[in-house]
Amino acid sequence: MMPFLASLENSAFGAWVRESSSLWAYPTILFMHTVGLGFLVGLNVAIDLRILGVAGKLPLAPFERFYRIMWLAFWINTLSGTALLIADATTKLTNRVFYIKMGCILFAVISMVLIRRRVFRDTVIDRDAPAAWPRALAVMSLVLWGGAITAGRLMAYFGPVSGAPGLQNRLP
Amino acid sequence: MIQAFSTWLHGTRLSWAVAGGVPWIWPLCETLHFMGLALLVGVVGVFDLRILGMAKGLPVGPIQRLMPWAILGFLINLTTGFLFFAGDPFQYIHNIAFAFKLLFIGLAGVNVIVFYVSGLYRRVDGIGPGHDAPIAAKIAAGLSLFLWIGVMYWGRMLPFIGNSF
Repeated sequence: MMPFLASLENSAFGAWVRESSSLWAYPTILFMHTVGLGFLVGLNVAIDLRILGVAGKLPLAPFERFYRIMWLAFWINTLSGTALLIADATTKLTNRVFYIKMGCILFAVISMVLIRRRVFRDTVIDRDAPAAWPRALAVMSLVLWGGAITAGRLMAYFGPVSGAPGLQNRLP
Repeated sequence: MIQAFSTWLHGTRLSWAVAGGVPWIWPLCETLHFMGLALLVGVVGVFDLRILGMAKGLPVGPIQRLMPWAILGFLINLTTGFLFFAGDPFQYIHNIAFAFKLLFIGLAGVNVIVFYVSGLYRRVDGIGPGHDAPIAAKIAAGLSLFLWIGVMYWGRMLPFIGNSF
């Protein structure tokens, strides 16, 4: 497994992302990842807040239009994230925190799809007091996106250090 | 004056704590900074995109009820951002990306103030489902999205164009 990860990391693309002095390499890819986070997580949070009763006068169904942006942001982050992963494959793919992040995102995206399919298409919700399960989905979504952000950030603090094979990162 | 303030700030116990004296503060602040970012961009995004014509089924007035959450996100980021600055002021005060980040935040603020003071706010407040916002409001909404994405850009460029971490 390790030789494969090393070959990914040492590929021309991986080396370019990691070592190029161009702003279009690592810095711009990281920026795209941040903008994607802002819109994907942010729009999900806005929808979750509405389901939980904030701005209760807003009809839920029209929020469905924002899913185009949310999916666009999702794919921007999948692509930029893959590039960042290739650049530091030996450290990030052996970091347990990375898999916690992926788990959070998997279930967050599942709840995002469930909210669209079950909550938005349920016309009763706009008129009557919502049932408990849409609220449960919204809370789950908030917790999972929060978990994804936390795990993503902590990858820089726990486990192997990117760009320095063999070194262990730890909070001093 | 900025120099003197930075020197004083750098000597405080707060600065010592943030810069690694209390090791969990920096990662915690970073995590909160990203959560605040998402809250701000998400709520402002819903408002701006609606004004620009996406999700026209939403009446504009009630979207304002989400705004306290955007303000909360902004305050979280102002606080955590100040703590980063306190941790090592000198890596920011000579950083061109940091100057541009502050400029863009300032311009986004001016944009909001103009939106309220000019009366545009009241003109869009009554826009019901299916109706278009006036062109002036669309310009303000487009500017808002551009400026906040710009703030993220300059924030990300802190270590690359400048030399902060």
